[in-house]
Amino acid sequence: MIKVQSLVKEFIQKDGTSFRAVDEVTFDASHNEIVCLLGVNGAGKTTTMRVLSTIFEPNSGKAEVEGYDVVAEADKVRENVGFLSGDTGLYQRLTPREFMTYFGRLYAVPEGMIERRIREMSEILDMDEFLDKKIEFLSSGMKQKVSIARSIIHNPPVMIFDEPTIGLDILTARNIVSFIRECRNQGKCVLFSTHIMREAERLADRIVMIHRGKVLKQGTLEAMREETKLQDLDDIFIYYINQANGELKVVANEF
Amino acid sequence: MNFKKAFVIYKKEMLELFRDKRTLFTTIILPVILYPLLFAGFGAIMTRQADVLEKRGATVAFQDSLTFRTPETLAIRDSIYEDLTKIEHFQIIPAPPTLNLLYQEGDIDAIVTIKDSLNVNQEPVFLVTIRYDGSGEKGLMVYHKLESSLLNTSQKISAQRLQALDIDQQIIKPMEIMPLDTSTTEKKMGNILGTILPYLMILLLITGASVVAADLVAGEKERQTLETLLVSSVSRSEIVLGKYLTIVTMAMVNVIINLVSISFSIQYLLSQSGLDMQGIQMPINSFLILLLAMIPLATLFAAILLSISTFSRNMKEARTYEQPIIIIAMLMGMISFLPTVEMNNVLALVPVINVALLFKVVLIGNYQLSHLLLTIGSTLVLDVIAIWITVKLFNTESVLFRTQEEGGKIKIKNKRTFFSPFYGIVYFCLALAALYYLGGKWQAANLVNGLIQSELIIILFPVLILLRLGKYKPAEILRLKKPKAKELAIIPFMAISASMIVSIIAQVINHFFPFPQEYIEAMSRIFTQDISFWEMFIVIALLPGICEEILFRGFLMRFFEQKNFWYPIFVTAILFALFHLDPFRFLPVLLLGILLGYITRRTGSIVNSMFFHIINNTLALVITTFSEQNWMRVFIQDGENLKYWLTIPAILIFILSLTIFNKITILEEV
Ligand SMILES: Nc1ncnc2c1ncn2[C@@H]1O[C@H](COP(=O)(O)OP(=O)(O)O)[C@@H](O)[C@H]1O
Ligand SMILES: [Mg+2]
Repeated sequence: MIKVQSLVKEFIQKDGTSFRAVDEVTFDASHNEIVCLLGVNGAGKTTTMRVLSTIFEPNSGKAEVEGYDVVAEADKVRENVGFLSGDTGLYQRLTPREFMTYFGRLYAVPEGMIERRIREMSEILDMDEFLDKKIEFLSSGMKQKVSIARSIIHNPPVMIFDEPTIGLDILTARNIVSFIRECRNQGKCVLFSTHIMREAERLADRIVMIHRGKVLKQGTLEAMREETKLQDLDDIFIYYINQANGELKVVANEF
Repeated sequence: MNFKKAFVIYKKEMLELFRDKRTLFTTIILPVILYPLLFAGFGAIMTRQADVLEKRGATVAFQDSLTFRTPETLAIRDSIYEDLTKIEHFQIIPAPPTLNLLYQEGDIDAIVTIKDSLNVNQEPVFLVTIRYDGSGEKGLMVYHKLESSLLNTSQKISAQRLQALDIDQQIIKPMEIMPLDTSTTEKKMGNILGTILPYLMILLLITGASVVAADLVAGEKERQTLETLLVSSVSRSEIVLGKYLTIVTMAMVNVIINLVSISFSIQYLLSQSGLDMQGIQMPINSFLILLLAMIPLATLFAAILLSISTFSRNMKEARTYEQPIIIIAMLMGMISFLPTVEMNNVLALVPVINVALLFKVVLIGNYQLSHLLLTIGSTLVLDVIAIWITVKLFNTESVLFRTQEEGGKIKIKNKRTFFSPFYGIVYFCLALAALYYLGGKWQAANLVNGLIQSELIIILFPVLILLRLGKYKPAEILRLKKPKAKELAIIPFMAISASMIVSIIAQVINHFFPFPQEYIEAMSRIFTQDISFWEMFIVIALLPGICEEILFRGFLMRFFEQKNFWYPIFVTAILFALFHLDPFRFLPVLLLGILLGYITRRTGSIVNSMFFHIINNTLALVITTFSEQNWMRVFIQDGENLKYWLTIPAILIFILSLTIFNKITILEEV
């Protein structure tokens, strides 16, 4: 499970001033649950996830994964998290099998186990035919599947996917979405981010809306619909933004 | 630290590199084919050239300028002529009327002129001149052939004369000289290889390493794969170790393949040229020791290049930052070209230079174990430091994720003000060019006046004019602020002690690279001028102290003040050291420059650094002027060198005065 408490992450800009990319963010996610971080580009989703995967150290606040602190017990956190970052590159000259094996070994997964995981995941994600081709010859959809499989080669209890379906065709996207559901059904704790409302609508058990580094609203879609009396997630999102801006003008049916 | 994981990374990097066709080509295929082609091709061209030159022959004019036309002299003339015509491929023609014209046009390659006179015994003696053009291969070849033909004739004539007098020919040959070269071929070979190989190997090592290094971290940043590595359960030091070993391996593979290819090519070349292969064994043992000696250097380059790669945003940036390192390493490797520099315990501590020199002694076959150990030891220390820095960089998120800075937000580009690094460098280059061309000319015309002109017209006035034109307040920009009394009180202590330390450093450098004679003469010229001490003080100490401080610490430093406290100080000091146009004084001047910059920024007043600068230069002046005086003998040895024991009190006084200085000054608000 994931626990984030008043998390703050600031970046020092070129001119020396600091900029808050994540501002007092609090939320959690438990096993058997898919939580979605929803927000426009630059909202702070990636930064939040990077703190959770120990890449960034927070300036203040707390973040825990499976009860381990991301700063104090970073090693433990890395073992328990599978992190797919937004714009991941892959080693072009390796094959998907070599690529996954490499990371399996870095996670100290036993060899036999690595093979089994590759077999399992390539079945669900439909990767059999390109498992031994060089990655440089794969399409972007294939690469994304390889990336996802790589990120959870060690079968971690917590999975964090940053915009996992961005730029993918509909078939691949569906494949990945159903894979994520499958993970949840196996009892994993899944946190994923997106700026596509439809995807959040379809996949998330709970939604955490983030805007300009702050949590705008969180809860189930039903609860949000109840509160705003709006059906569409697009409208709901705009509603909350306007509310936060202090203007209660509801702009409906504009998109 | 889990070595197994580091090894997993190492194996994967090697696998990837060997799947890269470009790497494969440059590290393996290229050297394998390059040297045989180069050597064989070069050899073939050389022999063919020599052949062509031989066969092409030459046209030589024979000019008869005899005064005594006795049958005897004519007979001698004819025998000279006859012998000349026997030279193969040579055409000997009697001097035509247009001789000089033909010679100038190159239709005639040489002119042999024969003149005569009578010696005391009334016998004819001849003077034969050979006019030829010694600038080219051909002229030299023609000359040598003509000379040996003439010598031959001369010997024949003397033999005839001796015979006429009934004297045994042997009498004019009291001795014969016969060269017997005792150096073994191995040693000769070692000497030749010893000059070229170290340079070549260092070059190959660092270029091989740099290609791989740029790829391994900066490349991963560029391809956005680094993040995946960082989130996986592997520690930063394991990543660094794995990548570091990869660079070392690739650099060594590159060197080994090149070395093998070179030695095969040399053997081939030697056997081709028909030399006896018996004595000419490649010094295989030496090669092995050399490879061992290369390992520390490979590790050092790997560590330095890896830290550069980690620091860089992308491969292009990494390559840019690598350039100066490669150039410095090359220059240091060139030390093996200098015949007088020999390995000693101090040089064994200097990276790159130590390996270059070690190479030389190893190839010749006599090296000391202490040098080997010192070299390896000092390199290992530097290794550890560089690796430690790399691991530190790997733990700094602002360095690892510098790529993101540009993305996302719209950057409002700052209006480019005049005081930006770009213009600073441009201004510096202009001033340097002016000093080099104009100042050099002025100083050549009249040294003292030239120096004064350079300081005022090149260094001082342009700054003041520019500030006036730009409507800047000179006092504010240049920090022409009244210094505090306590600052002025402590500066002399700092200046004198620092000057002594720096002079001693300069002395050590001069010890290893003695001044050329012309330089000493030029320097003594300025001191032997017939001018008083006070005039000298103005030219050597006062003017430079004021003008150079205004240019460097006052003006140029302003161009680099966007970043932290030390950055402008270092950049200005580097420019200051470059400005003196003397590689051997670079380090001493750099150190002074850093101190001057520090004083200026720390006190906010340039008057302090002027004061320091003037004291420093005055001290040098006093030492040279009064070096003959008895009371100076206490501090000075062989001419104008400070005694080495002075280092200890100088360092103590310097540390003490610097501590006091730091106490009484507060950091300038920037
Ligand atoms: N390494 C970094 N350095 C400086 N600023 C950053 C860095 N990473 C992200 N930011 C800034 O933080 C903000 C949030 O970015 P991010 O978390 O990537 O947004 P999202 O993933 O929601 O699109 C953006 O304004 C971005 O420019
Ligand atoms: Mg993002």
